[in-house]
Formats: sequence, structure tokens, C-alpha cells
Amino acid sequence: MKAPLASLTAAPLAQVAQALRRRAVSPVELVDAYQERIERTANLRAFITPPGQRARREAQRAKQQLARHGVRTTAGSRILRDWVPSADAVLVTRLRAAGAVLFGKTNLHEFAYGVTTANPWWGVARNPRDVRRSPGGSSGGSAIAVVAGLCAAALGSDTGGSIRIPASLCGCVGLKPTYGTLPLDGAVPLGWSLDHAGPLTRTVEDAGILFDALSGGRAWRQAQRVATRGLRVGLLHDSIVRPLQPGVSNQLEKAAAALRRHGLRVRDVRLPEMGWTVVTQLVTLRAEASAAHAQWIRARPRAYGRDVRIRLQLGALVAGADYVLAQRMRAKITQAVRGVFDDVDILLLPTTPITAPMVGERTVRWRTGAEPVDGALVRLTAPFNLTGVPALSIPYGEVSGLPVGLQVVGRWNDEARVLAVGRLIEALASR
Amino acid sequence: MTERDRLAAATRAAGLRLTAADLEALRPAWKRYLALVEELRATLAPETLSE
Repeated sequence: MKAPLASLTAAPLAQVAQALRRRAVSPVELVDAYQERIERTANLRAFITPPGQRARREAQRAKQQLARHGVRTTAGSRILRDWVPSADAVLVTRLRAAGAVLFGKTNLHEFAYGVTTANPWWGVARNPRDVRRSPGGSSGGSAIAVVAGLCAAALGSDTGGSIRIPASLCGCVGLKPTYGTLPLDGAVPLGWSLDHAGPLTRTVEDAGILFDALSGGRAWRQAQRVATRGLRVGLLHDSIVRPLQPGVSNQLEKAAAALRRHGLRVRDVRLPEMGWTVVTQLVTLRAEASAAHAQWIRARPRAYGRDVRIRLQLGALVAGADYVLAQRMRAKITQAVRGVFDDVDILLLPTTPITAPMVGERTVRWRTGAEPVDGALVRLTAPFNLTGVPALSIPYGEVSGLPVGLQVVGRWNDEARVLAVGRLIEALASR
Repeated sequence: MTERDRLAAATRAAGLRLTAADLEALRPAWKRYLALVEELRATLAPETLSE
């Protein structure tokens, strides 16, 4: 019996794969159904290079930042608008080897250097939950495509939160694995010591399946054997976690209470060193991105959008001594995180302190003062780029119709436990 | 030397080609950067070394 295509385009990857194996739907029928939805939702600006005829032979997607042999790969920029790589990125090769069908190239913040996907060259991406609002970024197109049913799953990159932020604002799952677990060969770099790649999916199971396919590991299989009862969960109570939108704070408290009822030991923990992540991330990323763009920012500054140009120019002014200072502080933050994981198995905190802001909104007004929107969006994600620990964003409830994302953070290379707790939170959210 | 002159000198030394408008656009971010780094420097200041 044929599966209804409309329900399959919104179905998790695991379910789609099962339907394909049972021959309830053919790959070409499925790709055609996605294509039809992509055409109908062009206003979301999810794609830079929409799937063409070649896509009928392929069914999964990669963000524009990942090189694909013979497919235009712009990294969301004007500079690379005509770049057609001569080889696949390693992650693309691994997906092909796992039998995935690659499908179009999604929109992102220019060169992945920003968190709104308001792209000056390829269009301002829109949140599928409310088109007046931002999808977040930099992997905004990937999150849109997953949530709007334009593909089965997507890939993104994450240098300060670029997988988890759009996952949180659009309402899907996003996994930033341990630093170095997934190779970035063939990806356009932004910050070498901060860059990660990972999946954006509809479910935690899908994130686990895709992560294992990308890493060649067994984290998802191990996750299914993790006993969550009795695990120690830390709730961060430091200044970096405040302020939060009240609705976001409520969802965090509800999730913590639900985990307690489920037998997990939830307690407050403190990581005062995290207060230094803003400046540490700023100095590190400004310097590294400016090094990656050293030639273009000097020779062709007008080929960048205004926000990215200013960030790169500022990075060119970072002194070597300041970069060293930032790395000293980074070592202290990392040591503090290691210490916390002596006391707890998992950290739980919101992914973003706010739900999706309006497109073009620049400032969040708190009772205590104003905060730039982009600063607020990375406040709770960037610490885990600096430290390299795995972090998973899971949708947990809504505030005024907008999704809230919670973040599960684990020890280095402990994706199995992160996925196991993430799957439990996902189940609790739907009760 | 004004703050603007210092920024102009720094950008020239870094090999950047900036217009007057570019300098004005960059200045708020640069000021914030300097303030944050100063805090970092103060926190991580090495203990006084005696010769």
C-alpha cells in the first residue's frame, strides 16, 4: 500500500527510510513531493541552490557551506557565488556511502558568520512558524527545510551555536557533537578551533542515526542502552543564564520537574567562569575568522554584507597577545566544565534565552537593560563551542505559539548519554 | 591622538582599506572590543615579576 506523501514529507527520517525499504513510496516520488513543497514555500528562502533534476537521484541535503562535487557551493556569499567544487566534502561522501540522497543547498548567514540568516545576497530567510520572525542562524535554511517538510533531515555547521540556535527558534532537533568528531574537510572554515558540523532533524532518534552515519560510530545504538534513571543533571545558575524570557524559564522548570519525576537527580550547579565566555568567544572567533578571510577582506571588502564586513575588519585588529589571553581564559573555562562533570552527568539549560525574534529586530529589552539580539542568541550556546563538549537542542513546549529549545550538554565524546537524555526530554515534551 | 585617529592607524597597520564611513561603522564594535579585552587583561594579569 502506498504511503500518503503529504504525511511522509513531514515524517522523521527513520519513518521515511522504513517507507522506502518497504517500497511504500519510491525515492523519486518522495523527492518530487519535497520539490513541490519547496516551490510552494519559496518565500521562506530556505534554499540557495534548489534541488534540480540531479536531486531526483539524491534525497538528503547539505548546507551550502559543505563542498559538493559539481554543485554550486556559495557559503551564502557573493564571493563564492560561482564556486563549483571539484570534490565532495568528507561528510557528503560519508552520507552518500550510507545511502543518503543529497538534495539542494540551503540558505545560511553569509559565510556562516552570524545568527539571523538575513542574507544580503540570497534573501532574508523566514521562520516557518511565523514568517515575520527570524529562523535564527547561521544554519537557518537547514532548520527551515526540516520544520517545513522540505527534506527528511539536514546538515549544518556550528561555530557559536549555528546548528542549535535555528533548531531552537524553528522547533527541530540540532546536534553539535564533540569537537573534532566529524571531519570538516571540504567545509568553508570560519573559526578553526570552534567549527563543528552536525545534523538538524525532526527527532532525537534521527539526529542519532545521522550522527552515527556521519561519524562511523555507535553513539545512537549505545544511547538506547543508557539507563537514564539516576543520572545526575545539573541546572546552571549563573549570571550567564540570566536573564531569560519568562516563558523559556517556565519550560526549563517544567522539564527539570519532569526529569525528577522520572528518577533523574536534578540539582543546581554553578560555573562562574562561564561569565567570561562572551569576551573569550569574541576574541577567538574574530581573530580566526579574520585569518580565514585575510585576503578577501583586504582586497574585496565591498563583496561582504555590512555586518560580516565589520566583524572581519574588527578581527584584523585583534592583537596576538589578546588572542593568547583569550586562550588562557578558554583553558580556565574548559577546566571548570571538566570539574562540573565530576559532579553531574548532564547539564540542562535553554538553548536560547528568547524565542524567535522579529526579522530585523536588533535589541532584546530586559528589565535589567538591553542586549543585542545576536549576543542573546549565542549566550547559551557559544560556551560549548569554546569547550568542545557535545550539546543537543530539543524542542520543549511553546510560548505564544513559538517553540522553546532546551539544551542537553554532556562530557566530551559522551554523545550516547546526551542523546539518551534528549530522547527522554522529547518524550516528556509530548506528554 | 583621538580615538578615531587611533582606529584609523590600527586599520592601516592591518592592511585594511577603509573609508571614513567604514571607520565610523567599525568604531562602536572596536570600542566594545577594547573594553572587553581590558577586563580580560585585568583578570588574567600576571603576578608582579621581580627582576
